[in-house]
Amino acid sequence: MKGDMYLAQSSDDAILKKSEHGGVVTSLLKFALESKRVDAVLAIKARNGNRYDGIPVLITDPETVIETAGSLHCASPNIARFIKEYLNGAFDMKIAVVCKPCDARGIIELVKRTQINMDNLTLIGLNCTGTLPSAPAKRMFHEEFEVNPSDVIREDLEEGKLTITLKDGTEKQKDLDELEQKGYGRRENCRRCDINIPIMADIACGKWGTDGKKATFIEVCSEKGSDFIEKAIEAEYIKVEKPDSRAIESRKKRNEEEILLARKWQEKDFASLREMSTEEKFSYWLGEFSRCIKCYGCRNACPICYCKDCILEADRGIVAPGEIPPDVIFPMIRSVHVMDSCVNCGQCEDVCPMDLPLARLILMLNRELGNIFKNEPGMDVNAPIPLKSVTDKELTVADVEIQF
Amino acid sequence: MDKFEPKIVAFFCNWCSYAAADLAGTSRIQYPPNVRTIRVMCSGRVSELLILKAFALGADGVLVGGCHPGDCHYMKGNLSARRRVTGLKPFLNAIGISSDRLRLQWIGASEGLKMAETISDFTDTIRNLGPNPLKRRQK
Ligand code: SF4
Ligand code: SF4
Ligand code: SF4
Ligand code: FES
Repeated sequence: MKGDMYLAQSSDDAILKKSEHGGVVTSLLKFALESKRVDAVLAIKARNGNRYDGIPVLITDPETVIETAGSLHCASPNIARFIKEYLNGAFDMKIAVVCKPCDARGIIELVKRTQINMDNLTLIGLNCTGTLPSAPAKRMFHEEFEVNPSDVIREDLEEGKLTITLKDGTEKQKDLDELEQKGYGRRENCRRCDINIPIMADIACGKWGTDGKKATFIEVCSEKGSDFIEKAIEAEYIKVEKPDSRAIESRKKRNEEEILLARKWQEKDFASLREMSTEEKFSYWLGEFSRCIKCYGCRNACPICYCKDCILEADRGIVAPGEIPPDVIFPMIRSVHVMDSCVNCGQCEDVCPMDLPLARLILMLNRELGNIFKNEPGMDVNAPIPLKSVTDKELTVADVEIQF
Repeated sequence: MDKFEPKIVAFFCNWCSYAAADLAGTSRIQYPPNVRTIRVMCSGRVSELLILKAFALGADGVLVGGCHPGDCHYMKGNLSARRRVTGLKPFLNAIGISSDRLRLQWIGASEGLKMAETISDFTDTIRNLGPNPLKRRQK
């Protein structure tokens, strides 16, 4: 049933041995394929063993699923757009997708826009406290941790610490806050992210509440997820027990701590944009916008930008062809077209060659609009898109201003 | 410096506000000559793009006039306009173009006086705000 919780472990010894937290996700993927519930699974793996180069892989052979075991913190592939662009929106294939909260939220927004078929997806969500930008992460490991980045075999972000494990088994730990003050640490959007447990997916898996045991805490988040887990237990791919109230409580507490930390980052980042005078804001943004080289990267990456014929293309009469920087209408339209649905995935900032603080602006606007329209994007496929929908109820509100 | 005369782009719905502006004219109700009117079939036609383009082209203010809720010829076009204007205001504030430069008003076909008052009041507001800063950027 939706809401059920389990402490789970893989029943497969080989997987268990290779795993960090009980090998549950790997076993679930194997089950999904072997039971023919799905045609393929979509997960992340290190390209040629390079953990700084994580890529999405579509797997159909249950035996190779194990290659995707373990978390890659220095990779943030664009899962939602990947499904839309390269897997035909899952319209002709059933896929189990391993996803972080922001991936799942991007998928949900694309489902609302009829670009992805949710009926064919099973979303296996992973708790996430952040990812690291890969090139700066390497520099950080080198300069701050004084290790060779290629010796790192594991990263862990827990309780305000970044811990890395090296090939020879040694561990090194640093305070995340200190690293982030120095400009290292997580991607900016991840610092601000206050949705760390993917309850919008079908199941949410993580280590919070496992109390150091080699196990994964699973929360069932939908009826589809419930059926999936029950069948996986029946088929003996995973072994489960019920978490006690202490485990549930400690998971809840860890989540709340992360949310608090993220909100602090939001406040800090947004304050820097809000406390400027109108004049200062204008000069600041005009300056930022004028650095844009119109590469269309942000538009191509954003899961909310789904249009087949984008209005910002040169032949649409809005943005003059061959003009760099483009007129301010370009970043303005890009921002307002996505601001009501931004899922804070940070993809726009990752790809921007000019480092425009796009996600910061757009997430700030999204949270302001969220307060007005009482909406949080990417949480529910049935929630209407605030600036693309109206309700009958609004007919009875006479004023030009409206409270939702 | 010359006295600042605001340029206001007004998107008026064919069925109500446009008629109201007409009525104000034929009833010889005075209102400031600062608006450039664009007739649209419904306030629901006024997308974010039209509003932002007006600003980008130098409008000091943008006025959107639609039918009162319940009166829209296309049922809910004006409700879309209301959501869009509501959503655009935080954006305009964030990038330093005061949201007071954008106004939505319901003006029914018979409300010639309300039309004149709206235009006078909005013109004053814009006069106080000064020119649209976007006009300063080099072309
Ligand atoms: S605007 Fe940026 S952060 Fe927001 S959804 Fe689009 S790509 Fe992600
Ligand atoms: S900028 Fe607007 S028109 Fe272009 S793809 Fe994004 S949402 Fe569509
Ligand atoms: S990614 Fe950056 S440079 Fe490229 S179009 Fe977007 S804002 Fe401009
Ligand atoms: S017809 Fe006048 S606002 Fe829709």
